[in-house]
Amino acid sequence: MRRRKSGMGSRVGAPVLRVAVIGTGRISEEHLRFLATDPRTSLVGVCDLSPSLARYAATRFDAGAAFTDYAEMLTTARPDVVHVLTPPHTHVAILRDCLMAGAHVIGEKPVAPTLEDFETLWSLSRARGRRLIEDHNYRFNRPILRIEEALRAGRLGEVRELEVRMCLAIREKGGRYADENLPHPSHRLPAGALHEFLTHLCYLALRFVPTWDAVHATWSKCGGGSLFAFDDLDALVLSGPTHARLRFSSTQSPDCFTVTVRGTRGWAEADLFQHSLSIVEPRRVGQQLSPLANQAIRGVALAGAAVAGLWNKVMQVTPYEGLATFLDRTYAALVTGEDPPVGYDDMRGAAALIDALLQARGESPRTAAGSA
Amino acid sequence: MRLLVTGATGFLGRHVVGEALRRGHDVRAVVRPSSTAEAPELDHSRVELARVDLRSKRGLVEACANVDAVLHLAALKSGDMYAQYSGTVVATENLLEAMVLAGAPRRIVGVSSFAVYDYLHKRSRTVLDEGSDLEPEFPPRDEYSHTKLVQERLIREHAERQNWDYVILRPGIVYGPDNLWTARLGISANERRWLRIGWLATLPLSYVENCAEAIVLAAERPGPLALTINVIDDELPTQASYAREVLRRLCPRPRSRTLPWPAMRLLAWCAWVTNRMGLKGRAKLPAILIPARLHARFKPLRYSNRRLHESLGWSPRYSLAEALERSLRP
Repeated sequence: MRRRKSGMGSRVGAPVLRVAVIGTGRISEEHLRFLATDPRTSLVGVCDLSPSLARYAATRFDAGAAFTDYAEMLTTARPDVVHVLTPPHTHVAILRDCLMAGAHVIGEKPVAPTLEDFETLWSLSRARGRRLIEDHNYRFNRPILRIEEALRAGRLGEVRELEVRMCLAIREKGGRYADENLPHPSHRLPAGALHEFLTHLCYLALRFVPTWDAVHATWSKCGGGSLFAFDDLDALVLSGPTHARLRFSSTQSPDCFTVTVRGTRGWAEADLFQHSLSIVEPRRVGQQLSPLANQAIRGVALAGAAVAGLWNKVMQVTPYEGLATFLDRTYAALVTGEDPPVGYDDMRGAAALIDALLQARGESPRTAAGSA
Repeated sequence: MRLLVTGATGFLGRHVVGEALRRGHDVRAVVRPSSTAEAPELDHSRVELARVDLRSKRGLVEACANVDAVLHLAALKSGDMYAQYSGTVVATENLLEAMVLAGAPRRIVGVSSFAVYDYLHKRSRTVLDEGSDLEPEFPPRDEYSHTKLVQERLIREHAERQNWDYVILRPGIVYGPDNLWTARLGISANERRWLRIGWLATLPLSYVENCAEAIVLAAERPGPLALTINVIDDELPTQASYAREVLRRLCPRPRSRTLPWPAMRLLAWCAWVTNRMGLKGRAKLPAILIPARLHARFKPLRYSNRRLHESLGWSPRYSLAEALERSLRP
């Protein structure tokens, strides 16, 4: 007998969506944990090429059945929604099959390796009357949502500069991206393993700098070898008086993922790995004392973040905390028929910016033919 | 015999290859494509290297062709559940599928672990043997015990379906050169400091060369076979006597402090209750504060290797003292 669920977003009498998951690797745990507690969904199937891994996910998260062939799952389980969590190079074909089978799809990023592929998928989803939704989970992390609130309230003024910085030791020996015995599937993407992180950088940048005029990108390979196409990116996205810097480094330590928004009145920095936020803005104590007030407030916030960090570690709150909010809002939209939280403009914008960054490899600044 | 040995560059695998050669067998050793591990046992005219990664199906059927038995040692002991699934379970799925496609061999020796047993519900000082209760697959006690349980099940199911001979060997704590520390002693903060837990529990030790001999004997034993056997030595020390023997031989000698087992057991129980009652079980605690994991490492039990003697005609080549001397020989 399936467990009765009582998570957030409960709606009395609301239809229960039949949900299936394809791909039961590491990221699936975050999706399945949400689905296991959300009362709007019923997990009717999980699918993986490994029978044991599919069985593990099905048992652990109380799925209706385990499959090793997603086509069979689409036919027999008849899901309303499918989460596609397979390696990125397989997304287009699987998403297409799911849409053809009449399911809404929630795809891990990137749903398509190029803008052209994305547009093709989008057209198919429109033609089939189904939703195509890309996971932009970090957009829904609390620090990012709080920066958006601060901007809406005018506390930071107009955005003038943005930096999205991700440092990850993806070349570290023993790490999954550096494994030469079984190269990670993301190495097959146009920008190699780095491509897998580009979508995050781009959708976060576009959240604060929605349009752009030109892109300049420096792609590098600091570590040599043939496995990685690139392991370092330093890109500048120009939008009138506003500049956005997108930075990925595999050589800087420690690992970090920060978003810094500088406006005409103040600035804010979110640390997405440490779940912390600093805001510097004019305080009520006046212009002279505002710097002191900001220092004191930041000090308290930093100490609080250290305690919260320890608590988060113990309570297994991961940097994927935004995924639950993203899925909650997505399912709310699927149930009511409203627009989902990640829409066409968001996905197309990210895909277009990635295309521009890729085209800017070793070239002069690329202008915004594909700007959102 | 021609034996396929997976995990051949590992601590135990190298000794299994050496023992197989010593007993006159030919060996096809599975090593990862980019492996540069230097093992003198692999540099031998009767050793053929098969450079494949078991997590992928590529080249596996060819590796399994024309061998008489598979000695499956490959497994991943660290990393999260998904890494260990890939390195242990998916690797085993791929190997078994390749064995079927290759049409031969029809015999597999799977090397499992004492980690599959249920220690929490076993009474202290009772005998743990092959008939003892196993840990349930769900909920998983930890990544290693879960993946080893699944691996055992896969081997049994495949072997029974294909009518193969199979032997599941469950070594206790395999020790030897550069591998004298065991998590059943406590926590080794580094080479200089040990925090030991308990004095009196018997350690289910298996000296690596003794264990390797048992594995090769299992491949040689005439069939039909459908056996599960614990692999431990005859002479099993207590935590205190083993630590004393090891510490006596180490230079510089690590500083060692010991917490009594009952105190640690109480502490873990309090942590577990607090987590259950106060935090709805969501807190991730250190392994030694999780009762099931703590008991798996430190509960005082007795052990039997009667089936190992009777089924394989095995007896340990090296005593504890000899094994320690060999382990610390320059």
